[in-house]
Amino acid sequence: MCGGHGLKNSRVRLFRGLLMRKFVLIAGLLCWTSTVYASERISFAYSPEWLALVHYQKGWFGYEGTIGSDNFYLSPDGRTNPQKELEATIALFEGADNEKKCLFPARYMVLKKHGLVKTDFLACQEFEQFKDDLRPAGITLLFTDAYMNNSSSLFGHTLLRVDTARKGTQLLAHGVNYGAWTQGYENSFLYAVYGLAGFYPGGYTVKPYYDIINTYNNIENRDIWEYNLDLTSEELDLFVAHIWEAGQTTTPYYFFSQNCSYMLMELFDAVRPELKLAENFKAQTIPLDTVKAVNAREGLVKAVNYRPSRQRKIRHRLKQMNKRQYAAFLDASRLDLEKTENLPDEEKADVLETAYQYVQYQYVAGDLDLKDYRKKSFNLLKARNQTTAGQKFNDLKEGQNPVLSHDSMMLGIGAGVRNGDFFEQLSFRPAYHLLTDNGFGFLPGAEINFFDVVLRHYDRHDKYVLDKVDILQLSSFSPIDAVFQAVSYRINLNVSRQMNPKTENEGYVLNGSVGGGGTYALSDYLWLYGLSSIEAAYGGFLAHNQWAGAGLAAGVLLSYEKAGLQAEVKKIFATDKTGSTLNWSLTADYYLSRNLAVEAVFNYTQNYGKNVTETLLRFKRYF
Amino acid sequence: MNKTLVASLMLGAAVMVSAPAYAIDSTGCGLGSMAWRGQSGILPQVAAVTTNGTFGTQTFGITFGTSGCDPNGRVTGGTQKMVLAFLENNLEQFAMDAAAGQGETLTTLAGIMNMDEKTVAEKSYQHFAVLFPDENVDAVDVTLRFYEIMKA
Repeated sequence: MCGGHGLKNSRVRLFRGLLMRKFVLIAGLLCWTSTVYASERISFAYSPEWLALVHYQKGWFGYEGTIGSDNFYLSPDGRTNPQKELEATIALFEGADNEKKCLFPARYMVLKKHGLVKTDFLACQEFEQFKDDLRPAGITLLFTDAYMNNSSSLFGHTLLRVDTARKGTQLLAHGVNYGAWTQGYENSFLYAVYGLAGFYPGGYTVKPYYDIINTYNNIENRDIWEYNLDLTSEELDLFVAHIWEAGQTTTPYYFFSQNCSYMLMELFDAVRPELKLAENFKAQTIPLDTVKAVNAREGLVKAVNYRPSRQRKIRHRLKQMNKRQYAAFLDASRLDLEKTENLPDEEKADVLETAYQYVQYQYVAGDLDLKDYRKKSFNLLKARNQTTAGQKFNDLKEGQNPVLSHDSMMLGIGAGVRNGDFFEQLSFRPAYHLLTDNGFGFLPGAEINFFDVVLRHYDRHDKYVLDKVDILQLSSFSPIDAVFQAVSYRINLNVSRQMNPKTENEGYVLNGSVGGGGTYALSDYLWLYGLSSIEAAYGGFLAHNQWAGAGLAAGVLLSYEKAGLQAEVKKIFATDKTGSTLNWSLTADYYLSRNLAVEAVFNYTQNYGKNVTETLLRFKRYF
Repeated sequence: MNKTLVASLMLGAAVMVSAPAYAIDSTGCGLGSMAWRGQSGILPQVAAVTTNGTFGTQTFGITFGTSGCDPNGRVTGGTQKMVLAFLENNLEQFAMDAAAGQGETLTTLAGIMNMDEKTVAEKSYQHFAVLFPDENVDAVDVTLRFYEIMKA
């Protein structure tokens, strides 16, 4: 279109010529600028900045927006066409729909910065109120550790905190949480299925930080890790504006992929596109992995702070007590204050404060009724207020930063002997942690083994076999003492290759086991446990295709610096002799580095006179 | 069986085995959440406390998942509203800090009231028996007394 303009009238050549030349020049310039403008728009529409801001991800068939809500896209084709969405956004800001403009303050900021819109952004009352309430001073990524009483929280949780500039403390800051709207379905058996299938809409909520602390630290007894981000003030403004923008939307929630942590990655990318965080989490998003990714980006995290759970704080105080304080504490938590009164003055405050915290803990755990709880709380504090000397114990400020824990996936390679047959073994586990793995940074006593696949090659028959798939192993060992009494449990579901002792044939069996019991800590490093369980198995080559049984297990857990060990003996009484076994097992790990370990396993199973002895040595590489 | 089904089944089993002990708004990774614009049940009651002056009955006890006086679930409003909202939600921690004369809640309240932290801590400690005369106090009483003590 922008071709040359020929001259047609030569009589007024000079004048016209001059004029035309000017016209050509101006027209040319106009054409050139509008071409540049158009091509600038096109190139901006596919820039990392715009793509991240509108949450586009590149898939098999081009770009697609992650956000589910239709109203997040201004163009009818906006979900799949970044360019049309950009045009529609520019049109919005050049138009008169002020109410709608108020939903997209972040887009405005970015487009204005690039000179793609020239109009002013009128003050939006609700958005201004939002900023005025939050008084943003920074952004902090929060990680809360695993909560073994809720299947949805086994892998921990991440959320954001918009730090506040308000006078006081960060208790007045706000937590921004991305989660699923599950109202009305919590007690449904399909709860989890729905969570996996994207049935629930996911959305954002904002709550005061003191509420977040109360929920995680005090009610669920989970540690909170705070990773304070180093953002420019421009990035902070954009972050808050984008939280507002995304906060109005919902997106189908997928438990494993598009979950709480994934959506936060897209938020980070929207504010600083070069981070490219979201693209690392297309298949599975484990909260801790996202925290590690954020920490791995240079210069992004500037400070780390640890907020231990109430339970951990109580344990930390108990450890600092001398014997008479501990005895006084046990009595005081039953509101018998005689021993406390007899303590030296400087030892009283810590006993009473700890007893008060413990009473709060018990009330949340459901061990006290409201009346009893109030009476104890009040009287303990009254006594505390009357002591002359204050707190002597130090507060728990340091913890094991989960960022330094071993990575989530694991590849195992090794060799062993099974009843005299040599084999080589390869295994892969997408997630997450077993008790013999390096426990640094993980919740003590908790394990989640998910889809651990074991392949073997037996030398004698040159045979490749799938040895075992640990679909799920979930355990929580929690020591019982005079203060804390939690049930230990273990759930296991696997498919494994087993031998029928009658026929000596091998075949695959689906095994399920649910057990509960108790754990006793001899020291911080050495625990003993006992579990009783219900067992069931199903497999085509078994006598009646299946058996059911009861199990009893006793074991030892040792964890000391660079070594971890678990030894167990387990007896199963089953409806069929194939299932009635006595198994002795020992697994010992030595940690060579954060992501490398060497492991020795010994297994001896007695079954119907046919015994299986197996030893294995392998390397475990986490990544 | 495909992978999703297997995963669903075992998670389902895990849910049944580990049913939460108390029915509160548990906020695990994405499960359970409060409304962006405050559609949760407890909020309107708390809001009523501040807006109408008809005082509610938020007595001493841990608050399970209530969220300030603001229907949006945010820290907002003037000083008195903020103090009440804060005490409603942190009463049991404040009681402890007041009894000891130190702690995070006292620093926070000093900030809200634009007062010297040390003064707030000392006065709370000295007047603990006034703030918490018995075990049945409620947050509104504590707030009113707290105001009186701080003004004195």
